[in-house]
This record gives sequence, structure tokens and C-alpha cells, in this order.
Amino acid sequence: MIKPPDNAVILTQELRKDYELGAETVHARQGVDIQIDQNDFVAIMGPSGSGKSTLLNLIGCLDTPTAGQYWLSGQEVSQLDDNELARIRNQRIGFIFQTFNLLPRTTELHNVELPLIYAGVSAKERHARAKETLDAVGLADRMHHHPNELSGGERQRVAIARALVNKPSLVLADEPTGNLDSHTSQEIMDILVKLHENGETILLVTHERDIAAYSDRLITLRDGKVETDERHEIGEPIA
Amino acid sequence: MNVFDAIVLALRQVWAQKLKSFFTLLGVIVGVTFLISVIAVVEGMNRYVQEDFAGSIFGINTITIERIYSRRGGREDDRTRRRQARNPDIQVADAELLRQKVPDIWYMAQSNDRFMPEVRSGQNKRNNVRLIGVTDEYFALQGWDIVEGRGLTRIDDLRAIRTAVIGDAIAKKLYPDDSPIGRDIRLGPFRYRVVGVLERQGGLIGNIRDASVVIPWGAYQADFARERDVVENIQIKFRTSEAMAAGQAAAEEILRARHRLRPGQENDFDIETASEILNAWNTIKNVLLAAGPGLVAVALVVGGIVIMNIMLMSVLERTREIGVRKALGARRLDITRQFLAESATLSCVGATVGMVVGILLARLVDMLTPLPATVPIWSIVLGVALGLLVGLVFGVYPAVRAARLEPIVALRYE
Repeated sequence: MIKPPDNAVILTQELRKDYELGAETVHARQGVDIQIDQNDFVAIMGPSGSGKSTLLNLIGCLDTPTAGQYWLSGQEVSQLDDNELARIRNQRIGFIFQTFNLLPRTTELHNVELPLIYAGVSAKERHARAKETLDAVGLADRMHHHPNELSGGERQRVAIARALVNKPSLVLADEPTGNLDSHTSQEIMDILVKLHENGETILLVTHERDIAAYSDRLITLRDGKVETDERHEIGEPIA
Repeated sequence: MNVFDAIVLALRQVWAQKLKSFFTLLGVIVGVTFLISVIAVVEGMNRYVQEDFAGSIFGINTITIERIYSRRGGREDDRTRRRQARNPDIQVADAELLRQKVPDIWYMAQSNDRFMPEVRSGQNKRNNVRLIGVTDEYFALQGWDIVEGRGLTRIDDLRAIRTAVIGDAIAKKLYPDDSPIGRDIRLGPFRYRVVGVLERQGGLIGNIRDASVVIPWGAYQADFARERDVVENIQIKFRTSEAMAAGQAAAEEILRARHRLRPGQENDFDIETASEILNAWNTIKNVLLAAGPGLVAVALVVGGIVIMNIMLMSVLERTREIGVRKALGARRLDITRQFLAESATLSCVGATVGMVVGILLARLVDMLTPLPATVPIWSIVLGVALGLLVGLVFGVYPAVRAARLEPIVALRYE
């Protein structure tokens, strides 16, 4: 039995997910072994089908592995049940999606409050914390707008506020700039860089090299296993 | 996430799609509307029959004795009708015997009545009047209150004094501006002095009292009777229903003896009580109340199925939303609760709309028809409770389906 080091936010061992494609089961030949430490800013790249989204879903406790083990902040989570996983997603993980995934027909403020609602935080505190977090991403003045009244960049900022409102130990971003123009992408990445400077641990999936360049560590995947894992300076172009 | 948040979410959802919500709720609305308005009308009729109708025509603990007349257009065959035509009249002597022999009489009165085409006072007149000649206990027996002046006394009766107590409608028509007491009215060729005015009854059968002119038995006999000493109607009131039952049996025996009826032979007179009318009404009411729940149930089940259908569609439409909520930490219970609260809130909104429409409908019936309709509180409680129940029962399946969605599958759903 492995005991993960204290500074490891994520530790996986032979973490694997098999898929049923029609009648056939696709087996990943080998699992993924990675360790991600406190305040790492990791970019995951790889060709489509390399398993980067699957890995992100497993790490985000949205999906359960077929085999292998996964410790999140020292806790074995690969064998937890539905409700316990929901609790971990709620308390420890902040999600940022490519398509923002804001709830339509509700205000920005309510969207940001959602994780707090599921955490059982009182309405008064919820409001205060959601406002505070929206303020941090520069949207406090628009908190009663609905998502369809906002630009793409603003929506992603709301989504970031939502990811951060519960003060998670890990932020997972799945192609966060995939639906944004290059100028807005840069704005969003600047926010993530700032979060990293403030001590946040961030895991970013992207297929764009300039976006991956904002990170300080790059992991490439191929056929469901780690191909390369290198540290680099933030902003250093990636070959 | 607590239930209150779930309800607020649900109301937001209902409000965001008003038209869709309305169609979704039509079944529940119709069901609850029907429930409330039918109960209102049946209850209203029930109160009316028990308190007004039976009470005012037959009175409580009161027996009414009348000759059986042959009626044209009745269900009887010709032989029965010919036999009825030979039935003896009830005589004043019969009434006197009853007064002596029947035990525990509280009030007893005899009355004859006829239609009068008009009653006049100076230039004013009122058409279509019921003229009643009564003995003095008639008012007490009927429970008719005198609001102005006095009732008729034994002296009026015995001396055949031409005095009259008039109904409210007649008083207003003949003396619109001042008191009718002490004034004279003309009934055919006769002048009668008004000594009292009856309390207004109003309502469906109010014009029976309100358009009546009541005069002493003696005066009626002298001026209007078709045959002397014939009594059309005897009423005896008792203090208790037990006394009434005993009195009814005694009166029946006395009259059978007077009419020399053999054992086994049918009565040639009528003894009626309010309870017979009430029994007939209760039968009708039970039929209405038995058919009602069936129809309401059908409407509510249809409404429930529509709600279930809409909720299933809503779950499908909002698969991604469910995925997002789960990603943000919603447990199965949270999702189940959200959708259950939504369907329950939905059907409660429907029940509330149905309740309002039902109450308005009952009001409308009350105002536009002679039928009284009152909405009892329990029917409102029942309506809303049924709405809630429908929402909960038919919301279970969609809610469970939503809760069982895998977060990753739901998030990928396009």
C-alpha cells in the first residue's frame, strides 16, 4: 500500500478506464501514474483519443476508474460511492468547462452560488461569498445578469468564479479557451496565472501550445498513458 | 440543499416557462376546479335543503297532514286517481280531535291558502299573492318572525277580525315610503287592516313567504273559503324527534279510525315529515358525492401523467444541467429533491389556480342561479393536498431518472 507524500494533491497509480465501444471493450494497455503537487500548474496535451479528457474526468471524480488507485489530497477516492464523490467534487474540486456550462435562465450570482447551495451554506453567507468571488474576477457589477446577456469571456469568468467559490484544493480546466477568441483567451489565462501565483493547484487540458505555455509543467499523453512529463518556465514557448 | 431552495428553484422554472407550465397543469387545474366547485354546489344545496327548504316548508320535528288529492299528470294510474278523488276532506272537527288526543304537541296550526291575482292599497298593487288563513300558532310553528307590528291572535281568529300580516315584498310594494301598520289593504272586495310585517326571507323560495298575506282563520273562512270547515293543511310541531314519531303514529291512528279504514287498507290522507324530504335529498347527494371523486380522480390522474411526461422531457432537456449540478457537488438526493419539489410545486400551482377558478365558479353559480354554493375550507385543503400528492406521486419516476444519471454522461449530453 502506497502512502502518498504530503505535498501531493494528486497521486495516481495505474489508473485506467476501459470503454465499451459497441460490443467491443477497449482496454487501455497500461494505467496512468502521475503525481501533481501543491501549487503545480499542469497542462495536459495529447492527440484526440489519447485519454486526456478521460484522465481529467477521473481526477475530477466525475468518472470512476476500471482499475488502479487515486489519492486526492491524501485520501483514496477511487473506491468511494456516489454521494462521497459528490461531496469531494463539491468541496475540493473546481471545474471550468470549454462550454462554460452556466445554467441558463438564472443570474450570474445564482450560478456562482450553486456549489455553496450543495455545501449547505446559509443563504446570507452564500450571497456574500458569491459576490466576493465575482468581485475577484471583475464581474461584481453584473451579478444580476443572465448568462445570455454576457460575452463569452464574461461567461467564462463567471464559471471561474463558480469553480473558486468553495475554495477548492484543485482547479480543473477542460479546454477553457476552446470557445473564445485569442484576446479573450489571454484574459482568461491571465486569471488562471494569477490564481496559480496565489497558490492554487491547476490542471489544464488543452490542445493549443500557446495556452499550454502558460503552465509550468507539461504532461503529454498517448494511448492512455503518459508520454512526456516535463517542467518548464511559465511563458516559455513549447516546441 | 434544503427543500426551500428546491421550491424556489422550481417556482423559477415554472415562471420561466409560463405557457408551457399552464398546459402542463391543465389536468390538475380542471381536476381541482371540478372538485371545489362540485363540493361547493353540493354542500350549498345540502345546507339549503336542510336549513331552508325542509325547515321552512315542513319544519323540523313537524308533521304535516293533508288530504291526498288526485293530481293530473302524476304517475298514478286512472284507478288510483279515481280512488283518490273519493278521499274525504279533513274537517275542522278532525283537527280539534287531533289537538286533544295527540300527545306532547308543542305548536299546532291549521291553514288554508289560495292564490290571489292582486292585493291593492290605494294606487299601489302587487300581483300574484298567496293568501293564507291560519290559526294563531302558525307563526310560532313556522318560525316566522314579525319585524314590525304584531302577529295574529286567538281573538283575531275567533272573532274573524279582518286583520292581516303581510310579507316583506308586499309591504315594500304597497308602502314603499312609510310603515304599512294600521293601513288598509284590499283583498278582492274586502278591506283588511295590516297589523304586522313578516321578516324578509329572500333566496330561492323566499317569495313564498315574502309574497304572502296572512289572515286569521275565521276571516278566511268567512270571506274566502270554498267549503266551510274543511282544513287543507294541519301542522303539528313537537319538541323532539322522538315525540314527533310518537305523535305521527297517534295522529295516523286517530285519522284512520275517523275515516273508518280497515287494517291493511291504505291511508286516504298524507302525513309528511321533513325527514322524508331529507331522505330523498340524501340519496341524491350521495350519488353526486360518489360520482364526483371518480371524475376528479380521472382528471387528476390525467393531470399527473401529463406532469410526469413533462417532467421526463424536462429531465431530458436539462440533462446537461443535471450534469453540471452533479459536477458542482449535487448528490442523488439533491437532484431527486429538486425534481420532486419541482413537480410538486408545479402541481400545487395548478391546484391553486384550480382552487381560485373553482371558488370563482362557485361564486358565479351562487350569484347567477338560485342554487346557493359555499366553498367549505376542507374542500380547499383537500384540493391542495390532492394537487401536492399528484405532483409527488407522478414526480417520483422522472426525479429518480434524473438522479441516476452519471455525471460524465450527463455533461457530455448534447
